[in-house]
Amino acid sequence: MFEKRSTGVLLTLPALVFLLVLFVLPVMVLLTRSLALPEGWGLGNFASFFSSELNRTIFWRTLRLAATVTAACVVLGYITAFGVLSYTKERRGMLTGFVILPLMISPVARTYAWIVVLGRTGFLNAVLTSLGIIDSPLRLLFTETAVFIGLVQLFLPLMVLPLLSALENLPRDVIPAAQLLGASRLMVLFKVILPLTREGLVVGGTLVFTGSVTAYITPAILGGSKVMMLETLLYQRINVANDLTGAAVIAVILVITTLAANKLLRRLATPRQRQEAR
Amino acid sequence: MLKSIALGAAGILLAGTALADTPTLTVSTYGIAQDDFRKILFDPFEAECGCKVVVDIGNNAERLAKIAANPDGYDLVAFSDFGALDAANRGLLQPIDTSKLSNYDKLYDSAKDPVGNKMAVGYTIYATSIVYRTDKFGTVNSWADLLSDKAKGQVAVPNITTTQGPLILHMLAEAAGDKDVSYANEIQKLADAKGDIVTFYERSSQLTTLFAQEEIWLAPTGRYAWGNLLKTGLPLAWATPKEGQTGGMNVLSMVKGSKHPDLALKLIDKWLSTETQTALGNALVDSPANKEARLEADKGALMTYGADQINSISFIKPADLLAHQEQWIKDWNAKISQ
Repeated sequence: MFEKRSTGVLLTLPALVFLLVLFVLPVMVLLTRSLALPEGWGLGNFASFFSSELNRTIFWRTLRLAATVTAACVVLGYITAFGVLSYTKERRGMLTGFVILPLMISPVARTYAWIVVLGRTGFLNAVLTSLGIIDSPLRLLFTETAVFIGLVQLFLPLMVLPLLSALENLPRDVIPAAQLLGASRLMVLFKVILPLTREGLVVGGTLVFTGSVTAYITPAILGGSKVMMLETLLYQRINVANDLTGAAVIAVILVITTLAANKLLRRLATPRQRQEAR
Repeated sequence: MLKSIALGAAGILLAGTALADTPTLTVSTYGIAQDDFRKILFDPFEAECGCKVVVDIGNNAERLAKIAANPDGYDLVAFSDFGALDAANRGLLQPIDTSKLSNYDKLYDSAKDPVGNKMAVGYTIYATSIVYRTDKFGTVNSWADLLSDKAKGQVAVPNITTTQGPLILHMLAEAAGDKDVSYANEIQKLADAKGDIVTFYERSSQLTTLFAQEEIWLAPTGRYAWGNLLKTGLPLAWATPKEGQTGGMNVLSMVKGSKHPDLALKLIDKWLSTETQTALGNALVDSPANKEARLEADKGALMTYGADQINSISFIKPADLLAHQEQWIKDWNAKISQ
């Protein structure tokens, strides 16, 4: 594209320097700190992190919550995306606007709103009580369920948007074609729609999983210290205990977890034949 | 033309020299109410000393790390009492010559040497007690009421990682007559009652929502949250438990590497003066540590104000906090955050 190769190099230089100084370098510092031991280098800090039963509980809770939030967002994301696509093009724009509306509200305000909805005198308990489904208000706040609900609402738009774009690119006639050939609804979903929209699924899944693993405000406010997650533990290590090494270890674990999740999602979304061909 | 250019250049040069000669005092402090601090303290001080005050803000941990990394870059620092002791133990502070502070004798006794070795002087003291719904709970008489049958499912307790967390353990121990500062018994009691405690809160601002939404009837908190809690319009009261109140103190210290120790001392003196302490109290920024400060009645009612309030405070020793905090957090995490 450029006559001289050097012009291209020069043009990419600012972005390269930006990434190096503000991303690669800090990540290296983080990694170095987590591997530094009093007597040299090694994985000792990680071993001691995982030797604590509490840390293991928090680690698995974080993974479990992030995985269930991602799964819930996949299901709700497909339903929402299909719903939006069933409207005319003009309406779709407006509905997509509604989908991304929550992203424009501060996460703190959104999370506080959940206190109003999920509280003992809140909207949900009022509805359930008036319908006679429950006798006394349920304790929903400050439980894992509250964190789950808060995270699903927070990250659902990040799943819907890539799925919308993937479904829009889906050839219109593949679904009727599959049905004509005798495929059941489930077969259409698993054999046709999922494989053809996998890119959207991988992008959305990675965003939701990464977001859930690294979220701080929602677990801190809706869960409190009864539902500790890796991110709230990290905050505690750095801001209260002044333990930079402990915080670096957790940060590295978070980075590795999200990279692994992305890899896993890519693998799940790649058809078997292509995996074998590699 | 040439003459005016030459004059202008000379002017700029002179101004530059004057600026270079103006000493700059770097103050490391908390981020709250910086506009009020600027108006009440820093601007008048700059006018008096002919110097410039630069403020670096953040919480205890952040600022301690910054001062440790750049010990020559600061003159004066505001910390919590245990934050100052931590900094002193790391060799980052120098003792204060209190004989040069004209306002020193006006301080409450507890604020005179809170950390030891004259490494700090207290500039604000706040009380911590239990706020409760008078219509739902009746009266709170003791810190032990937090874990009473009546409080089951209606109480929020500060998390161990907040400034208030250790204070609650301290008062539960006082109520039980327990002298063991490992607070193992108190943490166990909270762990046993975990299912009956609505939440272990992280920020005092959460309490306003929790009370307003009728999630809780009682919770321990610092006096600084009292004004906002009253705004809910609920029938709330500030308890006077028989074991007394607890509380905390923020202090001023001089950084060892200070380039302007005399100016830093002057700023400390101004900060502690009756005039500044009264103005900061009336602006609802900081409760006074100066016993001669007289606040307006409606303002004083919201602050930790007056000898009765201050003298009823049972402080946690900063050395105890520093020595045991890590263990408390570990114990708390293992028993409560599981």
